[in-house]
Amino acid sequence: MDGLRRHKSMFLLPGLLTLLLIIVFPLLFTIRVSFSGWNVSNPEMDFVGGANYVKVLQDSRFWAANLRLVLLAGGTVLIQYLIGFGLALLVWRNVRARRLWRVLFLVPMMTTPVVMAAVWQMIFHESLGPVNDMLAKLGIAPVHWFTEAGPALAALMTVEIWQWTPFMFLLMLAGLLSLPKEPFLAAAIDGAGAWRTFWKVTFPLMAPVSVSAIIIRLIEASKLSDTVYVLTSGGPGSATESPGYYLYLRGLKEQQTGYAGSLSLTYLVLMVITLTIVAALLARAFKVPRQSSKAKEQ
Amino acid sequence: MAQIDIVDVGHTYTAGAEQERWALKPMRLTLEAARTYALVGPSGCGKTTLLNILSGLVKPAQGRLLFDGSDVTALPTKARNIAQVFQFPVIYHSMTVYENLAFPLRCRRWDKARIEARVHQVAEALGLDHRLRQPARRLTADDKQLISLGRGLVRDDVAAVLMDEPLTVIDPQLKLSLRRRIREITEQFRPTVVYVTHDQYEAMSFAQEVLVMKDGRVIQQGTPEQLFEAPASTYVGYFIGSPAMNFLTVERVGGQVTLAGRPLAMAWDVPDAPQIQVGVRPEYVKIVGEPAANVFPTRVRGVRDHGPQRVLEVELAGQLIKVKTPREDGVPATGQILVELPRAKVLPYVDGHLATTPRAADPE
Repeated sequence: MDGLRRHKSMFLLPGLLTLLLIIVFPLLFTIRVSFSGWNVSNPEMDFVGGANYVKVLQDSRFWAANLRLVLLAGGTVLIQYLIGFGLALLVWRNVRARRLWRVLFLVPMMTTPVVMAAVWQMIFHESLGPVNDMLAKLGIAPVHWFTEAGPALAALMTVEIWQWTPFMFLLMLAGLLSLPKEPFLAAAIDGAGAWRTFWKVTFPLMAPVSVSAIIIRLIEASKLSDTVYVLTSGGPGSATESPGYYLYLRGLKEQQTGYAGSLSLTYLVLMVITLTIVAALLARAFKVPRQSSKAKEQ
Repeated sequence: MAQIDIVDVGHTYTAGAEQERWALKPMRLTLEAARTYALVGPSGCGKTTLLNILSGLVKPAQGRLLFDGSDVTALPTKARNIAQVFQFPVIYHSMTVYENLAFPLRCRRWDKARIEARVHQVAEALGLDHRLRQPARRLTADDKQLISLGRGLVRDDVAAVLMDEPLTVIDPQLKLSLRRRIREITEQFRPTVVYVTHDQYEAMSFAQEVLVMKDGRVIQQGTPEQLFEAPASTYVGYFIGSPAMNFLTVERVGGQVTLAGRPLAMAWDVPDAPQIQVGVRPEYVKIVGEPAANVFPTRVRGVRDHGPQRVLEVELAGQLIKVKTPREDGVPATGQILVELPRAKVLPYVDGHLATTPRAADPE
């Protein structure tokens, strides 16, 4: 038995070591760095106490970026959920060429975010892009997509939604396809129409999948930075900066390593707390049944 | 409740298959209104196909289905006004018990007061009237199954209640009580019930009439009593009853049917046939002390416990038969015992079918 156990740890060791190297070490290192004044002119692991954290608390640009993220992530994920669920419902049942549709809807997800953002930059280009061209044909004045705060946020959200709705679609379709048939049959027998069937059967049955899908997308969306980098570079001014992009600016562009360390740790703690609360609220809002009772019902 | 007429209905899942291989051979059946029927048979016998045809899930390859004389063959499930209880309890788990029971009525736009009265009436019959405000998902599996049934019963015009092995996922100790409850409730509301099961005991104790199916055919339809007393074929004899009916091959010497060289009197005589079998239920075989007519010597081969009864396996003329005896009779001390096959209970079978009186030699 001991021999077997030793063998097991032998096989586990490479994985555990890698995990240690890529997660635990950087985390500990970041914690240490966040208490140092390490920057480009003073690359030293000295100790400055909580000075960096005091600075974080006073950094209004960082907090503005966090608030903006609530809108960016919350707004885009909600719209992604609605569109993704809608599309999944469309191709769920017997639709002509549904396999083709299913693959087609996934195409945006398969492209690289940076490439996508570059393409969308062309689309939203204020004088050369097709969006303003079309708006002009409708008699609407050209929108300053990247030079005004509101339109820039709208453009950023459009790209995010366009790119990640397919992921939501995929999760929701998988969820729909795994639903048992009987509840739908029972609803038909009880005389429920399409609307009632959706609200009383499909939606409650999809609640667990919905919550998971939204959480997964929220985690992903909170990391938003590459699209910002390519599409708006956080501009105009800092109107579209996300925390991820702001961290990149401070840490990598300006090489304020110590300060960026404290920013990222603050951000990490904020995210963990926020997402935990959001997950609990979502589960309550969707009335997700507890595991034990769910298993029996299915 | 409606009378259901199944007119030459047959079905195959593979188009173009010859009729002998259809999942459901064309059949003609009438299920009378307000009676309970059980479809029973082994897996793959076509009972679920027949149920799905009744519910509208499967459109039969041929034939017509009439509910109270009107043709519903082409109607979808929703338009047939049936209720169905599935193997797994199906409830709306975002709703309370009350909302679950009221759901079919709300879909039919009944007014509030009428819904309330009807739901309370049905809930009382189901024994759920004190739990109406609870979320339905908190109930146990057997109570959820009652809700499924209740959703069918609240509609007072429901044509038929179809039950597809509703006790499958219920704990064994609750099965008995739930079956009794369902039976009581159906007796009170008197819908036309079609109950599918592979459990002959369930079928016999639930239904007023049992349809035994095999290979896509109904091979016998009758009351539980008829199926027990006079199985139409050796198959039904084996399938219904626990332990199965005894079948013994007998000989005809001269004009006399004999078993182990002794004359055997049967319930009625049969025309001469190459092979005659007699069937006798283990419940009717009697252990006796003295030789007499229809009494045969046997050798005890084994004893099995069957709850309040004991089942003796005895060898009679080289063939094994089972004898059901009350526990208090004890196990015979000697290996040799005499058993009587009561004449009225010894039924003749030819070619696997119950032989009718000598005049009509038509099997089935």
